[in-house]
Amino acid sequence: MCWSLKELIAPEPVQKQPVVAWGSAGSGGKEGAKIPDLRSEGRTSSQENRPDVYEKLGTPQGLWTGGEMANPVPSACCVVLAAVVVVYAQRHSQLESHTQYERVGADVTMKCGSMDWDAAVTWTANGTDIDESHLNGSYLVLKNVDLSQSGQYSCYEGSSWHLKYQTNLRVGMPPKEPVLMCRSNNYPKGFYCSWHLPTPTYIPNSFNISVIHGTKDMVCEKDAVPKNRCHIRYLQLFSTVKYKVTLTVTNPLGKNFTTLTFDEFAIVKPDPPESVVAKPVPNNPRRLEVSWQNPSSWPDPESFPLKFFLRYRPLILDQWQHVELSDGTSHTITDAYAGKEYIIQVAAKDNDIGTWSDWSVAVHATPWTEEPKHLTTEAQITETTSASTSSFMAPPTTKICDKGAVVGSGAMAVCWTAGLVVAAYSVLFI
Amino acid sequence: MAAAESPSAALRRRDLCSRGIRLAGKMRADVVDLLDAYVEQQGLDASASVAAVEGVPLAAVERWDEQTGTQRLLENLAAYRAFRALLAQMLEEQREQLGEADAGLGRALAAVLLQVSAFAYHLEELLRLESRGVPGEEGDEEEEDGPPPPPRLSLFEQKLRGLGVLRELAQWAVRSVRDLRQLAKPSPATGAAPGLAESP
Repeated sequence: MCWSLKELIAPEPVQKQPVVAWGSAGSGGKEGAKIPDLRSEGRTSSQENRPDVYEKLGTPQGLWTGGEMANPVPSACCVVLAAVVVVYAQRHSQLESHTQYERVGADVTMKCGSMDWDAAVTWTANGTDIDESHLNGSYLVLKNVDLSQSGQYSCYEGSSWHLKYQTNLRVGMPPKEPVLMCRSNNYPKGFYCSWHLPTPTYIPNSFNISVIHGTKDMVCEKDAVPKNRCHIRYLQLFSTVKYKVTLTVTNPLGKNFTTLTFDEFAIVKPDPPESVVAKPVPNNPRRLEVSWQNPSSWPDPESFPLKFFLRYRPLILDQWQHVELSDGTSHTITDAYAGKEYIIQVAAKDNDIGTWSDWSVAVHATPWTEEPKHLTTEAQITETTSASTSSFMAPPTTKICDKGAVVGSGAMAVCWTAGLVVAAYSVLFI
Repeated sequence: MAAAESPSAALRRRDLCSRGIRLAGKMRADVVDLLDAYVEQQGLDASASVAAVEGVPLAAVERWDEQTGTQRLLENLAAYRAFRALLAQMLEEQREQLGEADAGLGRALAAVLLQVSAFAYHLEELLRLESRGVPGEEGDEEEEDGPPPPPRLSLFEQKLRGLGVLRELAQWAVRSVRDLRQLAKPSPATGAAPGLAESP
């Protein structure tokens, strides 16, 4: 006899009649089992004594709940579920999350929580059992650790498999001296400092920057992007007092720092010019017209004008030519080699202070060249020749010369003679 | 609020500003060269920090972009007048103590002194153009009743002060270029230079 799902989820209301179960609890009894007729034994239903009934039928008295009895299957499910929860709680309850930082090359010993040295334990690394050769009693010993040994280490009591200790091992290095750079690409608004580590530490680092101008502490506001950068607004201009910037980097394995000292003018370096364009000049085979724009990060080019440095060379040569321009954002190159492709770049600098920007993106351009006019004439000659010499093709050496290939009047005479010979042969074969 | 500037006055001002910018630019280049020579010949460390010396006008300024034209001119004029006196003093000390060995340094100092004087005069011209009264020099007014002269400095102190003077003068030369560029800008509303009104 099976209980329906409905009965498992929501058992029938408690009945005052005895429930007889044949077989073990929850099994529902055996199908086809005959329920003895109690009345045949001289007893009325009102006189039924439940314990007597169970004695007669052999039903375990434990099933009798004294008038109320719950459905056994849901109870059993609850018991199993509770057992699972308890086991899980025992294994993972009360364990703090540890993170342990160790240097590359260090020897690491881990204790299994409060377990004795001689306790039987099992260590795992990222869920994989660790060989007993790494154990010293219940301690885990890792010699000369490397980066690949970072991970989750867990210790379980031998027989019960209770989790006794867990830690996240992070293998890394203390920070080396950071690299710090400060620059003003938006003078006179302010400047920014950016930094990085020369080699990675493989563990989290925190950076702290301080800026002092004379005796005054200044706040360097961190940029959201990129993270390793902060910016400062100038409170004073034209000061001879130097700025001192100190960057400290700290991680769980150590700290390091670097200091930069500079004056206001020294760090001014604009961004490269933008939108560099180079175009040929019509009817001028040796000219190229170059134009560009001030970098958009430079806030006030009118009050703080930039000067420019232009460099250019033909692709086929290595040597650059340079032109310095004190004003304006355009220049015409007048000594380009005809027909050669050029590469051109521009850099910018504040007119009075600071250093040159990086070179702009390179642009390519080729000076104007005249289109060869002989193309039409040659086409006509070729058409005429092919019409009259359909079965004879003049060999390449006797090809009619075009003007462009001729050098000197003597060579011209030879070419025309060859042309006449070809024409004569053509006539003979028509 | 200032009255609108006449075209000829505007042209004159722009011309004076342009010439002033060129003067200041040349002056700065010469001061930088003089500074290098001074450090070398006086045996000083170029990176040495020099505390602010009394009487040396500091170029450092806050809210520079908010200054009026008049403020810029007056502050520049006061500074270059002070530098004129300081450089004259340096030249005298130079001649007294350092003699022939540093004749070149003396000539360079004299050349810069001349440029400083010329620039101060140029600033006075600009102020007169704006119909601003040119303030008298404090030295003239207090000739008879001035404060007692400062105690004579040691040779090393003189050298350090000289370093401070030249460094500050180099900063002022840059600032003056920027100030004159601001003055040369036409105002969009009236066509007059910005900031030459009584109030910003």
